[in-house]
Amino acid sequence: MTVSSRNGRLTPDQVQSISFPPARFGRRGLDEETVYSFCDQVQHELMTLLNEKASLWEEVERLRRRIIDSGDPTGARPEDAHIQAVRILSNAQQMADKYVADAQDYSRQLTQDARRQRDEVLAEAKKHAGRVLDEAHSRASRAADVMASEPGSVAGGEWRDRTAELAYLRTFSEVYRTHLRAYLETLLNNVEDWEQSEQASLAAARAELPFPFPSGTQGQSPPPAPGPTSYSSPPPGSSPYSTPPPPAPSYSSPPSYSSPPSSSPPPSSSPASSSSPSPARLP
Amino acid sequence: MDVQRLQESFARMAMHGDAVPLFFYSDLFLRHPETRDLFPVSMAAQRDRLVHALGRIVSDVEHVDALGGYLQDLGREHRKFGAIAEYYPHVGTSLVATVAQFNGPAWTPELAADWKAAYDLIAQVMTGAAAEDAAARPAFWEATVVAHELRRFDLATFRVATTEPLHYLPGQSVSMESSERPRIWRLYSPANVPRDDLTMDFHVRMIDGGTLSMVLTRGLAVGARLRIGSPVGTLTYEPGTGRDVLLVAGSTGLAPLKAITEQISGLPDPPRVHLLFGARTADGLYDLTDLEKMAARHPWLTVIPVVSDEPGYPGERGMLHEVLARSGDWRGHDVYASGPTPMVEATVTQLMALGVPRGQIHLEDFGWSEP
Repeated sequence: MTVSSRNGRLTPDQVQSISFPPARFGRRGLDEETVYSFCDQVQHELMTLLNEKASLWEEVERLRRRIIDSGDPTGARPEDAHIQAVRILSNAQQMADKYVADAQDYSRQLTQDARRQRDEVLAEAKKHAGRVLDEAHSRASRAADVMASEPGSVAGGEWRDRTAELAYLRTFSEVYRTHLRAYLETLLNNVEDWEQSEQASLAAARAELPFPFPSGTQGQSPPPAPGPTSYSSPPPGSSPYSTPPPPAPSYSSPPSYSSPPSSSPPPSSSPASSSSPSPARLP
Repeated sequence: MDVQRLQESFARMAMHGDAVPLFFYSDLFLRHPETRDLFPVSMAAQRDRLVHALGRIVSDVEHVDALGGYLQDLGREHRKFGAIAEYYPHVGTSLVATVAQFNGPAWTPELAADWKAAYDLIAQVMTGAAAEDAAARPAFWEATVVAHELRRFDLATFRVATTEPLHYLPGQSVSMESSERPRIWRLYSPANVPRDDLTMDFHVRMIDGGTLSMVLTRGLAVGARLRIGSPVGTLTYEPGTGRDVLLVAGSTGLAPLKAITEQISGLPDPPRVHLLFGARTADGLYDLTDLEKMAARHPWLTVIPVVSDEPGYPGERGMLHEVLARSGDWRGHDVYASGPTPMVEATVTQLMALGVPRGQIHLEDFGWSEP
């Protein structure tokens, strides 16, 4: 959610009247993304205000000194030159910090998206596998029943059982293979789509690369082009002064403690498949 | 030194927020460009750290005794960043210039003298501790990756070999830097007791957008070089209490507890040990196979895997603190817990509600040294 007034700045009123949507079904609390995105916005606004304040203050100091040194109001003293250099270096450092923070945000979002998609794909695959198994089983059972009750069958009980079993297995494997093939093809298509969109977003991201110098000083670099896709502009969360990377990731968290559980049952590659046979590992 | 005057001048400066450390570092780098190389590209986190450390020192400046340990740690920890004694006066000069800049007309020669005296005292304690430390151990250990295994797309274990022996207590942590991300240090726990072949195992989970964890999980190959800092931390095994042991591990918080388990296995008369190992999903129990092997070898060890977010999981389901509440009477146990902070907090609360004395619960406390 991006709250903004006409000039794009956040106002105290907006902060007071903000309301967050509840989390998606199956999760506790408020919708995390909205909350974080709003926090980013507040942080950005705070940084802007603090920076404005700092530069105003510097201006006041400069003017104050000028009055004190009014013996020679125009001559710049070496002290002023140093302070000016400090300011220039500080600006450059802030710019560098912003680029690093943006890159980090971008990578964080990509990873989060990838993680979510992975969970969804695996959950979906598991559900799908379950359905396929059920269907294969019921169709194969029918085939076996048909075979077993085939009129005119002269063979004895054991032979009939074997034939029924064979029919069951044949049908089961046939249904299963058909589904598997269809499913893999869908997956492959997804991967191709994904690759294409990634290429597009990479191209867009490159076009959007920060352009740190006033035009002219780096004639050979193209000016930043407005990106053609939705990936082109930095996401709302990419505040330039976003929080430092999480400290001490040594004991990284199972997300269960830091965030509400995801709504779709997470995938399993565990022995949970004892109840449903190995095709649960289909993906 | 007039402490109140000093603190007031600090408060006046602190009002300017991030502009203060920004000025300080720019001033330092302009006067002494060689110091820039001690810091990472992005200085945002560094500035917060400086403000935090300064605030702590200034608010306690009249109790130098209480500050002593903190400053000594600070001095020792700065060795691995390449901070050498001759840089300390440079920092002092820039610090005084910064306070002067932000005190404007309130700045006086007396204040300047106060600040200089205070800084000299601090620098003396820090460099003293650093020099003492330098006599005992290197600033950092060079290490080479000898094995790396991606256990899940975001979970890896790897083994490094150091060139010099690194003495640590099982359960402690060491900070680590990769040449891929210079000047970014993060703490990790060796998952083993110190070995004769100087190898150490580490468990890393990738943090989304995490600067170093991403490199350590997915960007490390055999042969990669790492730097390792001095061991820190107090999550170490206390032998001889006569009590049995409960280990509560969330995700890669397992590493220090695995080292402690290994340490216990070397005792002549090991206590009974229960190890609860929790993750969100079963594929997050990345080291369960190895733990089960250990449990098969050692009759005194029971491993209980716990999964919180996977309804179909056949074993223990729930959050670690919920499971430990229903899985035994732990009042007579020494407990060691490691994992994400909310997990550890929930565990402590639960254990105390169950009647385990706080003194029997051991946690990690990095103190200031959180990188």
